[in-house]
Amino acid sequence: MRIFGPNELKADVQDKGLCVGCGACVNLCPYFKNHQGKTVMLFPCTLEKGRCHAYCPKTEVDYTELSQARWKRPYDASPLGTHDGVVMARAGEGRVEGRVQAGGTVSALTAFALREGMIEEAVLTNREGLVPVPQMVGDETGIYGCATSKYTAAPTLSEVNRAAREGIRNVGVVATPCQATALALMRENPLDREDFVDPVSLVIGLFCTWALDTRKLIPFLESRVDVSRIQWMDIPPPPAEVFVLDLGNEEIQIPLDEIRALVPRGCLLCPDMTSEWADVSVGVLEGEPEWNTLIVRTEKGRALVDKAVEAGSIVVKEMPAANLEHLRTAALNKKKRAVARAREENLLNNTDEGERAAFRMDPSVVEELTGS
Amino acid sequence: MSHLLTDEPGSRILLMGNEAIARGALEAGVNVAAGYPGTPSSEIIETLSKVARDRGLYVEWSANEKVAMEVAAAASFAGLRSLCVMKQNGVNVGSDFLLHLGLTGTRGGMVLVPCDDPGALSSINEGESRQFARLLELPLLEPGDFQELKDMIVWAFQLSEEIRNLVFVRSVTRLSHASGNVVLGPLPGETRKARFKHRGFILDEMEGVVASMPMEYRHRRQQEKLKQAVERFESSPFNTYTGPEHPELVVITSSACHLYSREAIHLLGVEDRVGLLKLGTTFPLPPVFMEKHLGLTDRFLVVEEVIPFLEENVKILAQELAPRIGPKTIMGKRDGRLPTVGELNPDLVVEALASLVEVPYESAPEAYVKRGQELMFFGAPNRELTFCPGCPHRASFWSIHNALELDGRDGFVCGDIGCYTLAVLPTGFSTLKTLHAMGSGTGVASGFGKLGRFGMDQPVVSVCGDSTFFHAAMPALINAIHHGSDITMVVLDNSGTAMTGFQPHPGLDVDALGHKAPAISIEDVCRSLGAQVRVCDPFDLETTQATLLELLDRAGVKVLILRQICGLSPEKKRHKKYEVAVNPEVCLGEACGCNRLCTRIFRCPGLIWDKRAGKARVDEVICTGCGVCASICPEGAIEKVENREVTG
Repeated sequence: MRIFGPNELKADVQDKGLCVGCGACVNLCPYFKNHQGKTVMLFPCTLEKGRCHAYCPKTEVDYTELSQARWKRPYDASPLGTHDGVVMARAGEGRVEGRVQAGGTVSALTAFALREGMIEEAVLTNREGLVPVPQMVGDETGIYGCATSKYTAAPTLSEVNRAAREGIRNVGVVATPCQATALALMRENPLDREDFVDPVSLVIGLFCTWALDTRKLIPFLESRVDVSRIQWMDIPPPPAEVFVLDLGNEEIQIPLDEIRALVPRGCLLCPDMTSEWADVSVGVLEGEPEWNTLIVRTEKGRALVDKAVEAGSIVVKEMPAANLEHLRTAALNKKKRAVARAREENLLNNTDEGERAAFRMDPSVVEELTGS
Repeated sequence: MSHLLTDEPGSRILLMGNEAIARGALEAGVNVAAGYPGTPSSEIIETLSKVARDRGLYVEWSANEKVAMEVAAAASFAGLRSLCVMKQNGVNVGSDFLLHLGLTGTRGGMVLVPCDDPGALSSINEGESRQFARLLELPLLEPGDFQELKDMIVWAFQLSEEIRNLVFVRSVTRLSHASGNVVLGPLPGETRKARFKHRGFILDEMEGVVASMPMEYRHRRQQEKLKQAVERFESSPFNTYTGPEHPELVVITSSACHLYSREAIHLLGVEDRVGLLKLGTTFPLPPVFMEKHLGLTDRFLVVEEVIPFLEENVKILAQELAPRIGPKTIMGKRDGRLPTVGELNPDLVVEALASLVEVPYESAPEAYVKRGQELMFFGAPNRELTFCPGCPHRASFWSIHNALELDGRDGFVCGDIGCYTLAVLPTGFSTLKTLHAMGSGTGVASGFGKLGRFGMDQPVVSVCGDSTFFHAAMPALINAIHHGSDITMVVLDNSGTAMTGFQPHPGLDVDALGHKAPAISIEDVCRSLGAQVRVCDPFDLETTQATLLELLDRAGVKVLILRQICGLSPEKKRHKKYEVAVNPEVCLGEACGCNRLCTRIFRCPGLIWDKRAGKARVDEVICTGCGVCASICPEGAIEKVENREVTG
């Protein structure tokens, strides 16, 4: 992994508009802060190497190296990443409180992990108005308070960094793919610090095609609706192609094409749709709005899912082949788009002196993703 | 008793230049003195306020220079003698009033003392007040030493009463702020009674209406008065010639430059070749006196600060006199022999003069200069301009900077004159982006705040001090509110005119004489004007920053008052609220996670980087115990303990 410092991070990510505000660089030091979804560098820092750069999922991410470290195997172009099974899932009957997204699997699994003591705290994403706010919760009520999708890029990882600083351990994180990538980078202790402690014991990944820039979404919605009335937001699985706002007594649909202009540029360079670096990953399921897709990736993830099923916290079913195929196609397409774009922007596998890459992949993988 | 009241005519005492001016006013029997603080002028009003009770004077720090002129003029209209004092740019502030005052004339003697600051030693400009004398057609005197500072004030009062108009007496930093021996004159015994006579014939200058109309008549009268002044200048004791009867060259000079010129002639040993024409009455120049001395030789060097004011006036006169005295070569600034920017000094004058008299002279030998530069570079610690330890402005700009960065819309701050001017530099985190006259920050912001329709979406912040708020920021604030401008005005209220030495202003409950005075509440003023107003303690960084972020998001005019007394104020001096220390066990130093935030970015002089230990340290000698650094340390390594004896 090529690790640089805050100046390179600022030049390569923030100044190029690639920052998605995941929060990986926030709360490590006094320099990087996130305000209303945007990460800013308050003052220059002169370090040649910093955790801010090492943890960032938008610069110098070497997928080959990361895969070796995490999965003990090279990174290939497999659409769903390393995994141990894909099933349909939803929360067990009566197991969730209040409103959730799709099958409520994420909230149910998080609550179960907390109940079982697999984690002591959960780092989730709440919202204040339309601004996503990271939140650490230690009980089920807190978990359901954070339920439902935000669709905005959120600085959730700043809360993980805070937990690490404050000596909090055994934390579960519900993370988008960029955040799960950053967590994977973080957990490798890339700067070989003696004082390093991994505070994270479970990562529940979310499927994500792209997120929305909070700073752009707010004025966009404010010009259309009274945002204080928004109770719930949803992007139903394809072929719906709409962004749905539930205002309580009415529902508003905005064509996705209008929304796409609000996607941070950084999302367009993301090759990961299914949070490949998480323990388990959860997303929607085409044609089944009351269910989720659940990918199990690690032994820990497997143990969590099996126990949760046994306890009735979640219900799982076999995934229909057609759905799995559609998922694989969608995930592969995201990889292809990201690699093509990175190449186009000269941000892929750069080796020239002074040039840095957004991410690196083995040339054979790149060929596979761009060849056909 | 103040040494300024020494009543022993003929005795010689050491006076600071500004004290000499004050003594001159006392000897002239001044009754009223008004001014606005500004270096290098402030000590004049301060000195007079201290003897006000003894001498039965009325002295005030006015809200601004224009008001000070008006207050002093009122005394003159009532037959009293009045003095008005300010720094160079203060004359600009009041010049509109002076334009009309010149036309109406004065009654009791009125003298305006602008103290210019060539080289801007304590200013952000080196404006020339002398130009105003020419512009406004008023007589100008320039004292050339400490004795003259006193004597010319006395003379100026007499002149003012002879011509019934205002007289300028211009000082400069090097006179106002240096000290010299002054032979005292008598202090008058009687005091005047004030009465404004206004029932006379409309054109009666002593008992009629004080108005600039009818304009043509009044303007003509003003010019007649100026001619009267010139007649007096012809025999003025302050214009002197020293030197040979037939000099090769004559140096024409005024003010502090007279001292440099004398030194230069002496250093070159050309007293027998070069004459020195020292002028004290520099506008208008007395033609008969000048004809006599311009006839001494054909070559002249004019030595003055800053721009060629005297040089141009001499040239005009020389042209008019040419049929009688022949063509003259008048050198100085217009031909580039002397700089038109910054202060002069003896070296610069010696160099200009040496080339003209062909005396080899090296003002600073090359080896000496080189050695000096080496020592400066390698030996002298790099000291940049900085806020004092414990300065509330550092904390305020920390929050303003951070709020604007977090806001992320490329917002900026418009500022003006005060200690907070330093926020253009790293000590204020380079937060200030426009810098002009008193109150201009808010005026400029008011304009920026209307540019939304042209696509400008940057947040606009202005800053001004508490004294500046009353001085000139209020009209700008009113303008912004009336026109629906979107701005956040931050009043950096350190409870006094701190930069110039804690002179009171209308926001405080005391006046220049130390009397209890009604304090005008900045927040009440702003609220009543219709602004959204918040007040924070800038030392509470978190609340201040959160408040700013909230205000930046709102439309309209918002005012945030950041109130914390200046660290150098008498109330705070020698009282440390906290004992502050760095816990070296916790300090991260240069490691990732801090990288010396306190000594590299925050940079309060009370914090030291201990290179050997790789840790920060508190310099307990200069730390004022404000405790702000404890809030910025990311690791909580800077610990503060409240000092019980002070607070309890």
